[in-house]
Amino acid sequence: MSRYKTETKIGAVTLRNPVLLASGPAGYGLEYEGLIDLRRIGGVVTKTISFEPREGNPGTRLHETGGGLLNSIGLENVGAEVFFSVKLPALADAGIKPVVSLAAEDWDGYRMLLEATAGIAGVDIVELNLSCPNVDRGGMAVGTNPDLLARYVRHAKGTLPGVTVLAKLTPNVADIAALALVAEEAGADGITAINTVVGMDLDMAAGRPVFKRVRAGLSGPAVMPMALDAVWRISRTVEIPVIGVGGITSVEDAMKFFMAGATAIQVGTAVFYDPGLPERIVDALEETGIPSGLED
Amino acid sequence: MKGLFTSRIIRTERLSPSSHLVVFERPRGFPGAEPGQFVSLRITPTITPLLRRPFSIMDLTETELCLLVKVVGMGSEMLAHAPCGTGMDIAGPLGGSAFPSPGKKDAVFVAGGTGLAPMIFAARTWKRDGSLGRADLVYGAGCEEELLVSLCENDFTAVHAATIDGSCGFEGDAVSLLEKLIKGRKAGGGVLYSCGPSGMVRAIERKAAAAFSRHLTSLESVMACGVGACRGCTVPVRTDRGTVLKAICSDGTVFDASEIDWRRWEG
Repeated sequence: MSRYKTETKIGAVTLRNPVLLASGPAGYGLEYEGLIDLRRIGGVVTKTISFEPREGNPGTRLHETGGGLLNSIGLENVGAEVFFSVKLPALADAGIKPVVSLAAEDWDGYRMLLEATAGIAGVDIVELNLSCPNVDRGGMAVGTNPDLLARYVRHAKGTLPGVTVLAKLTPNVADIAALALVAEEAGADGITAINTVVGMDLDMAAGRPVFKRVRAGLSGPAVMPMALDAVWRISRTVEIPVIGVGGITSVEDAMKFFMAGATAIQVGTAVFYDPGLPERIVDALEETGIPSGLED
Repeated sequence: MKGLFTSRIIRTERLSPSSHLVVFERPRGFPGAEPGQFVSLRITPTITPLLRRPFSIMDLTETELCLLVKVVGMGSEMLAHAPCGTGMDIAGPLGGSAFPSPGKKDAVFVAGGTGLAPMIFAARTWKRDGSLGRADLVYGAGCEEELLVSLCENDFTAVHAATIDGSCGFEGDAVSLLEKLIKGRKAGGGVLYSCGPSGMVRAIERKAAAAFSRHLTSLESVMACGVGACRGCTVPVRTDRGTVLKAICSDGTVFDASEIDWRRWEG
């Protein structure tokens, strides 16, 4: 019997608890059946979908670094039609709360994706991936431009009435808090921070970059101090909830994010090697309560 | 159904300068596994190395889970030298496809490096259930001391060894030896099973597959999730819907080699 209530409100949605699986590593959720009890956690931020299916990037897609993981998946996904007709209902049938991650590709694709999303039963919270570093169009190019960021967020709010809209931001900017403020003013109900940090590595035996696109996205414990700093600054700049993500590898790491100002947290890369972590964080929150944010 | 288990190392054996046998106690409740399936190990509770490491199952008995570990980096080095009694967290059995048994046909297995592990598991599994007829292993290594013939000589009808330096058996690689062995053989007989580096499997498909009714291969890859979620280990496979990317960890590890789009795959 849990001693503390962990229900968490974000926008119009109340989550069972503030522990989510991060988009990307979480896949479409059910892949982890048998390894993680996804019904115990607050929800799963599903793999980012685009309107049309995407094949993702050729060549090497994963490369381990010191305390981190570089990835260049390139938003491979099944597309809106298969996602909404197959993947999402399967998640709902399994009793797992979805947070649907939507890609900002070009404007037309984005518009069609939002239209396809509008009115889908069971979609009451979405996360706009305005920050993927591994695609040529959209992604980070949107999330680093205040005008585009505002336009994309405003359009989501207009097309998805009643749906809680989170904007996932990139740390690859001079001032992420300023962009969070732009998203808030455009109507976002919450900010997810951070997406991966741009990085690269070289294959010394081959004498060339590891990745075809050269630059890739770094996640894992190596980026946690940056993520924590982003959450700290954003939570002091905006009124809306901040969902902290980036390098959480332990219960203590998760607690730090709440203390830095996060309302909820996401676990990403750590589920690859420690699938039990999200449930242990839930256990700890039920045992000791959700830590309060620090005073300035 | 896969699961997350804890187990401990009960036996290790240095088989060659780079290869080690690592035997875990079969965890309580660990499901049965099929040839071509694998486990992923969290080698250390620290974050170095960060990711789990995937290993083909070399054998699974009532009491033991046996892995063949070749030292190629930090993770395999730590596992190979972990003392008996070391506890580890094991996810498995993973993999959504397995080697089908050859039925009444002869089987030829071709292995490079730790690609030997699923071949041994296949031969032992089918021998145990009585479904293995003639089984030839064609197996290559760099030199004699890296050949692990003694590990598996009782599992196959015959072991045909190749070494690059010619120090034992055929001088050359396993694919060249396979070509020599099947020369003049009637097309379409027997089932060919392979596992090893992608270049080896690709060469087998190009040079030798026509001599067999099927060529099934267990592919190797760097993996992160091991369950098909992250899409980090994809391979292009030709289907009636055109070429689609399949996950080696969850759609494989076993594929019909003739369906792989070798031109596009750079694995």
